Amino acid sequence: MKRATFVASSLDAATTGATLGVGLWVAVTIILAPTISKGSPAWSAAGMLGAFPWLVGWILLGFMFGFAWPGVAAVLPRVKRARKAKGAGIRIVILGGGFAGVASAKALERMYFFNPLIEITLVSDTNALVFTPMLAEVAGSSLEPSHISNPTRTALHRTTFFRARVTDVDFERRVVVAGEDELPYDYLVLALGSVSQYVGLENVQHHSFEFRTLPDAIAIRSHVIEMFERADRLEDPTARRALLTFVVAGGGFAGAELAGAINDFARGIVVDYPRLRNDEIKVVLVHSRERILPELSSSLARYALERMQARGVTFKLNVRVADATSSTVHLDSGETIATETLVWTAGTAPNPLLRTLDLRCDKRGAVLVEPTLAVKQHQNIWAIGDCAAVVDARTGVTCPPTAQFATREAATAASNIRAAIDGRAAGEFRFRSFGSLCVVGYQTACAELKLPFRSEAVRFSGLFAWILWRGIYLAKLPGAERKLRVLIDWSIGLFFPPDIVQTIDQRT
Amino acid sequence: MRHNLAIRLLTCTAAGTLGGMLAQHLAPSATLGPLWSGVAAAVFSLVFRRRVLDPGSGLLWGAAYALLLWIALFAAAILRDGGAATPVLDVARAAFPRLVAAIVTLGVPTGLALGIVDTVQDGKRRTLTSLPRALVGGGLAGVVGGWAFGKWMAHVHFFPLIAGLVHRTSASVGMTLHFTIAIVIGASFGLLFQREIRGFGSSMGYGAAYGVVWWLIGPLTVLPALTHRSIDWTAAHASTEFAPFVGHIIYGLIVGVIYAAVDRVWKRLFYESDPLNREPSDGGIRSLTSLYWGTLASIAGGFLFSFVMLVTDKLPRVAALVGGTSITLGLAVHMMISVIIGATYGILFRYEAPDLSASLAWGLLYGAAWWFIGPLTLFPILLGGSFAWTSADAAAELPSLVGHLLYGVATAVVFLALERRHAAWLARDSRFASREKRRRRPLRTSAPAVWLLFVGLGVTLPVLLS
Repeated sequence: MKRATFVASSLDAATTGATLGVGLWVAVTIILAPTISKGSPAWSAAGMLGAFPWLVGWILLGFMFGFAWPGVAAVLPRVKRARKAKGAGIRIVILGGGFAGVASAKALERMYFFNPLIEITLVSDTNALVFTPMLAEVAGSSLEPSHISNPTRTALHRTTFFRARVTDVDFERRVVVAGEDELPYDYLVLALGSVSQYVGLENVQHHSFEFRTLPDAIAIRSHVIEMFERADRLEDPTARRALLTFVVAGGGFAGAELAGAINDFARGIVVDYPRLRNDEIKVVLVHSRERILPELSSSLARYALERMQARGVTFKLNVRVADATSSTVHLDSGETIATETLVWTAGTAPNPLLRTLDLRCDKRGAVLVEPTLAVKQHQNIWAIGDCAAVVDARTGVTCPPTAQFATREAATAASNIRAAIDGRAAGEFRFRSFGSLCVVGYQTACAELKLPFRSEAVRFSGLFAWILWRGIYLAKLPGAERKLRVLIDWSIGLFFPPDIVQTIDQRT
Repeated sequence: MRHNLAIRLLTCTAAGTLGGMLAQHLAPSATLGPLWSGVAAAVFSLVFRRRVLDPGSGLLWGAAYALLLWIALFAAAILRDGGAATPVLDVARAAFPRLVAAIVTLGVPTGLALGIVDTVQDGKRRTLTSLPRALVGGGLAGVVGGWAFGKWMAHVHFFPLIAGLVHRTSASVGMTLHFTIAIVIGASFGLLFQREIRGFGSSMGYGAAYGVVWWLIGPLTVLPALTHRSIDWTAAHASTEFAPFVGHIIYGLIVGVIYAAVDRVWKRLFYESDPLNREPSDGGIRSLTSLYWGTLASIAGGFLFSFVMLVTDKLPRVAALVGGTSITLGLAVHMMISVIIGATYGILFRYEAPDLSASLAWGLLYGAAWWFIGPLTLFPILLGGSFAWTSADAAAELPSLVGHLLYGVATAVVFLALERRHAAWLARDSRFASREKRRRRPLRTSAPAVWLLFVGLGVTLPVLLS
């Protein structure tokens, strides 16, 4: 140490020592010494006044000791305190960056935030978590795309994020293979999600839009605008009608919400195209069953259908999309719809990678798991979310592939991983759904909520359900910043028309 | 290099000599004399030249040096008169004017002079980070601190006395002057200590130490001088000025907290929002854990303090806060207050202690600060009365001071232990490790001078003046 630095350190230590002398005066002269000698401390005013000379003494002693301390410390043998954690680290690898994957990483972060022994790694082929309940609003131009997606890197503070597509898992070597890279694991969480299922309809797959990701929603929105731009130049009413016809296949939550959003968007922007008329727009929802929204009760489904019809949506029930070309959609009833827009929401299947792994799957391809969510015959692997066939231990019913269930499964899986690390018994997955919410049009929604101490679900519809939908999903949207942005988008939507700026040039 | 040293030596010697002359004029019996003042200032410039980096640190180190010098001379006098019949306390009280003289006319001017010379000679290194931030933050803090101090002034009709500064007697003139002075002192706080302050805790500490210095300069020196009264630095007179002493400390604590709050908001709006200055976020986990650690630490401190409360029979009085009288209720209320104060310690003092000694010192400072805030100020108000801040009240609460110091130390030590556990995982992520390193108070700031000034005088004066 340089002499000047040494003197400076000594002065610091001396002044600090003088301060600590006051503390020592209190501890020794006021409390300890009188307690030992007289049986009680001297902390009365008189006692402290009497001990004043000692205060001066302690301050000076502290000063001198402090002044000497850097010199003494410099000659004392240095004892290095190794801060290395004892034992080897434990590697938890999560595959999938959807609701289940991110929620399990967050749960593990909460458990092990300060534990250096636990390494958490999340592998995903996208770098953001898309809040899918609001995806239809992006397609309908109510929300900015990036406002409903949260970057995984910033959402997770303790997890190593690895953007890659998983190609294999070697259970023998306990290694995840992602292209050229290999990631070793001790505990593995499979949260690989699902993909669209076209049941062999190759033409449909080729000519339709998917509706699962943010780019899908952006592409649909841009495509709708493109149809309006092209239709605006045409003189032939039939050709115009074909361009302004939008077909959505699938009447579940995703399909119904998307059909409602496209309907509102299309009828909202038609005023910007003076050559086009509102009655030329047609939004068709094709559903293979008798009623839409099978997740909801029949009364709410009927309400949704009536409200959507009143707002201009056409329904084709009990029919399926059988084929498609670039300008037509063929239904299995024999009907042909002239359109250049088909969005497919009619079926999903677990990630096909799972079928290539040595895992027991159900007929859909979902991984079979124990009630603890551990993969059968692989006690260090857990499967959650859309890719797993999870059975609720309370009801014995297979859980639906929804975000609500995925996040609860993630919490259980994280808790069970901790139990496995600690050598404790794992807990079973039990969850009582809070219910379902679905927006079917502007300020129109259906809600079916399960409240505590009530066996029957409570049903709401209309404006109140819509407010409920917005309130609940805004609360659930990850990140305060995103919440604020979405709130601003919604507020702007109250006063200004939807934006028709094309962010993707679809002419090619 | 030698040229710079000579300038510093000459400047400090001149400042010390002038200060000695001033002290000789103001209180002839209290001073070392111009010659010895000059010598002491020269020694200060040589010994503390590496510690004084700007006027703010100069002021604090100068005042701390003066305090240490007084203690050393006082101890030497006691040792010299080893068998004298005069009680030590009386000797200390008799030497009190020298303490005031040493700080006001030697330590403060010499430290400021050294700091100014250092800044002028090495301007690049020691400029303010933001002048508007210092002035606005400090000025706002001064208004709030002045408002709190003004409550006492209105209560004891002190404003007409301040109006005497401009030869008036009106309370409204006095109040206007009071707020003007409060704003000026607040703004000077920002100007002097902007570089030294890191968080709420250190800002409180610097504010309290600055308040103590201003008590010595203001009510004991400048105010009587400007109102044409004789300057009286005796312990007996200082005892009658004990209320302004507490008032200046409370003012300083408030100025510190408000300044830190404005500083935080300012940095967030105009510095941290710049993408170039963005730091990795832990999603508020560090703040929550600091609160949690502070809460845990306060339980240890609270139990130690409870022992003092129990023995001194103060618990029924604490129970009176919620309308009860039982010891058990008093203990419950006391522990609840302890936990709240300890949790805030976690937020106020995180990143402030680089080692155990610093942690102990911040703990003593926090404990002493709460003695002035709690038993001397808030407690009487919460019990339906009003605070008087007299030396007699302080003497009656001296046992509580012991409890507060124990509480502060225990809370700080346990908090540091919990904070250190955190270090293991930090090493695993270089982003967080470097962020924590940047935020933590480094060694070699003027914090030791703050500790000594506030803890030393904050404990010594209530005993000496009671």
